Amino acid sequence: MIHNFNYRRATSVEETLGLLEKCKEDYKIICGGQSLLILMRQGLVAPENLIDIKSVKEMSYIDYDPKNGLKIGAATIHREIEKSPLIKKYYPVLVEMEKNLASVQTRNWGTIGGNLAHGDPAGDPGPILIASNATVKMASLERERILPLEDFFIDIFETALEEGELLTEIQLPILPKKTAVAYEKFSIIKNQQGIVSVAVSITIDEDAVKCKDARIVLGAAAAIPLRAKEAEQMLIGKKIDTKLLASVGKKASEESDPVSDIHATETYRRFLVKTLTTKVAKKAWELAKAAN
Amino acid sequence: MKKYTVINTPVHNIDGIAKITGRAKYTFDITLPRMLHGKILRSSYPHAEILNIDTSKAERLKGVKAVLTGKDTLGLKQGIWRRFKELCDEEILARDKVRYIGEPVATVAAIDEDTAEEALDLIEVEYKPLPGVFEPLEAIKEGAPQLHEQAERNINVTRHIEWGDVDDGFQKADYVREDWFRCSSQAHVCMETHCAVADYTPEGKLTVYTSTQSHYYIKVLLAEILGLRENDVRVISRYTGGGFGSKFELDSAQFCSSLLSMKLCQPVKIVLSREEEFTATKRRTPMFYYVRSGVKKDGTFLAKEARVFTEGGAYTAMGATALYLTGFFQSFPYVWPSYRYDGYRVYTNTAPTSAMRGFGAPQATFCAETQIDLIADELGIDPIEIRRKNAMYPGYEVPGQATIQSCGLDQCLDKIDGWIKSRGELPRHRGIGIAAYGFMSGGIFNWFDTPYAFSSAVIQINIDGKVDLFVGSQDMGQGSNTTMAMICAEELGVKFEDIRLHMGDTENCPVDLGAWGSRETLMQGNAVKMAASKAKQQILEFATAKLSPNIVYDLDIKDGWIHLIARPERGLSYYDVVKEAIRGKEGQPIIARGHYTPHRKGMISPAYSFGVQAVEADVDPETGKITLKNCVTAHDCGQVINPLGVKGQLEGAMAMAAGYGFTEDLPMDEGKILNPNLVDYMLLRATEMPETEVMEVETYEPEGPFGAKEAGEGLTNPTAGALSNAVFHATGISIKNLPITPEKVFNALKEKKKK
Repeated sequence: MIHNFNYRRATSVEETLGLLEKCKEDYKIICGGQSLLILMRQGLVAPENLIDIKSVKEMSYIDYDPKNGLKIGAATIHREIEKSPLIKKYYPVLVEMEKNLASVQTRNWGTIGGNLAHGDPAGDPGPILIASNATVKMASLERERILPLEDFFIDIFETALEEGELLTEIQLPILPKKTAVAYEKFSIIKNQQGIVSVAVSITIDEDAVKCKDARIVLGAAAAIPLRAKEAEQMLIGKKIDTKLLASVGKKASEESDPVSDIHATETYRRFLVKTLTTKVAKKAWELAKAAN
Repeated sequence: MKKYTVINTPVHNIDGIAKITGRAKYTFDITLPRMLHGKILRSSYPHAEILNIDTSKAERLKGVKAVLTGKDTLGLKQGIWRRFKELCDEEILARDKVRYIGEPVATVAAIDEDTAEEALDLIEVEYKPLPGVFEPLEAIKEGAPQLHEQAERNINVTRHIEWGDVDDGFQKADYVREDWFRCSSQAHVCMETHCAVADYTPEGKLTVYTSTQSHYYIKVLLAEILGLRENDVRVISRYTGGGFGSKFELDSAQFCSSLLSMKLCQPVKIVLSREEEFTATKRRTPMFYYVRSGVKKDGTFLAKEARVFTEGGAYTAMGATALYLTGFFQSFPYVWPSYRYDGYRVYTNTAPTSAMRGFGAPQATFCAETQIDLIADELGIDPIEIRRKNAMYPGYEVPGQATIQSCGLDQCLDKIDGWIKSRGELPRHRGIGIAAYGFMSGGIFNWFDTPYAFSSAVIQINIDGKVDLFVGSQDMGQGSNTTMAMICAEELGVKFEDIRLHMGDTENCPVDLGAWGSRETLMQGNAVKMAASKAKQQILEFATAKLSPNIVYDLDIKDGWIHLIARPERGLSYYDVVKEAIRGKEGQPIIARGHYTPHRKGMISPAYSFGVQAVEADVDPETGKITLKNCVTAHDCGQVINPLGVKGQLEGAMAMAAGYGFTEDLPMDEGKILNPNLVDYMLLRATEMPETEVMEVETYEPEGPFGAKEAGEGLTNPTAGALSNAVFHATGISIKNLPITPEKVFNALKEKKKK
């Protein structure tokens, strides 16, 4: 049963920051509540104050410009990202990710910022955004700061957000030339939280022979969305072939740190990291070759 | 004239509009003046003695009206097996000992839910923890912690079924195969959780609104455990938001709300949370099955032996019935010349296991059908052919158990065979698995010991021809209200719209044992048909007098037209005749009664449904992931009453049974259920449902109303077995441990590669 709380609805960033200051003793920000309400129902989280920012219109937007890339307001619902023609054109893999994120009902209500701020390593958007080199903008009454998303996740359900701080925007830079991002989630049934997910971005050199840069990010395979940096290094500067991809998968699996739970054992998760990494890296490589 | 004017036409649920417009009042929606809210404190230990319960702090909390414990009860043990007192072993509010995590120990009524919840935290229970035992194969061992004094080695119930010379059969067999299977648990996950609003008044009368599958059972059980006279208890259950076997036993919401209301003379409402629903209500029985079969080279079945150890949980519940039915349906739907079954239900410190859609048969069918495909594969026989060779047929007698009257199994096999052939060559890593099954149309057992008929109905016809039909059957979403109205309209010869149905209230509905064991269509249906037939007779007497035909003619009513059967154009309007008939009866409406109790129908059921299901699935050879593609069922439920109803039952059963085979499970750690929520408990969703198709095979069941049999529960039986066979045909591996998760398939594939 959900414990009693004070419910406050903000309509602007300014108002939100004021409320955060006022309630700094004990608050939780709710922005869709698709994850938070589950924890509250189970009594795992019992905030004194619940600050609802779903109605902060200035935080719901999708902007793109060819110089700076994509900016998504933190209160943008998943369904809007899924349906955005801009995202479909410039970051199609994000659309694919959104289509398999929970159910339509959840996507119609849940927000991208809410998902990231929840800090669940099994969250869908984290790996793909990190692979795309995303940054996040955070605001408080004192300051505004920008952080690579990779550094935003600290531990399970723990992020870099400080007291009084609000996640306001997700930023995706323009992908470098000859770059592609690929992603896959393994779940037992469709639209279920992933047992494991993997996102890979690959940039290849001008001659389309060697891998120039790579990012491999694993979901639900550690306490945070995890970059498999050693596996990435194995790709950089190399000509990619099946044999290399197989050992990259193996390395990513070694770097991962998954748990055993009722849905899968650690062994199975490690296997899935290995096979998915190999598969997704291959896909990213092929897409990058075809990219401009 | 058409044979039937109402039956076999697709009819939308009689209460469908009330439901979709939100006017249907479920127990969850009931609010009474001065109503309080109740909550239940539950044991956090799987096995412990209760040394003391201190309720004083909770009682002092502002807004709390009463805190009750086992000491405030009559201290009676109850259960549905009332003919066997030792099997009535559950107090509901434990007095001395708790035996599972979630067992009620105290209950609170307060002005609102929050206060009641807060009060639970203030109740101090002093426990002395005892060692627990959680698996039946452990609990049955000598020296294991014992749950109940009278149950040595925790054996709760045993069952033995035997016919033919089993040992001789194995002697003569060319091929013998033995396998162990593990069948997992499953939660019912009704949309409406268990709930009740109890209203006790100073006159000594108790009214309980509740979500149930049997208002009659709840009335009797409540009266008994509360020390009230049976008919001073009224149970009202107009709408029930799902049952699936979880709602015909007395539950903690019903009992605690009644107890509190009796103490306070104020209405008390208790609604279980989803977590309580998962952890503290009953569930499908996990089973460890040993199955050994002996067959001839040509696939003819000779002898079968089965032994099962079921995880009983802490109390008997309906588990004794599940133990019998799983043993009976282990042999189904085949001719086994000899068969021996031994079942042991073992108490464990886990939530009690009980009835759930299929009632032991889905477990049995999974084991039996998986093994048959393994045998067929060894012998090089087609799965359809081995089943056809041994299929039950009309007139077959299961020795000492049952007589099969109608049986369309052979036609079902034909239809599925045709469908499989139409699929042509399958892509790699894809398989089609089949499973044949059958189920009962209502149980004939009366362990409840009711002196009433199993089903009764009353009909009253008013001057405008509108028919008041009073039934005791319970609609829990399966559509029995619609079925009963259709049977009544057909037999009486009126339109579906002429029927006004009254149900779900013990005060003005006749007794019916309730909606379980697939009994309503056949049993309540027969009672309705009898009542309608008697009412029709009264109308025809008047019509005969009015029409004054030659005495050799017979009259009938169809679609509101009373006519000579031989000369249908000669007749009168039913609506006119009814008015005159009532005038002629000194203004008394036409009233008739009907009832049904099976007699001399064997041990199980008066009739059996049959079917064959095919499941087509892809298996990823690397990860073991299974994707359902198609599910086709050929189905013999006798005469179909409502084709839309059958389709709904099939699709619902398919989702539930595929979940059982594929994703649903209740993993535990020392008796604690680890996934008591809808995020971690994986129900199949719309996106996961394969294409489903139902092919009806019509037979005529002489014992059923208009030849009808069950069409709801049996459909849950085949899917896990068909799915396991699909995986077998796609990969060559057989998973004998439910549910068939990708990881199990992955591990088995890895093992196979090693070999």
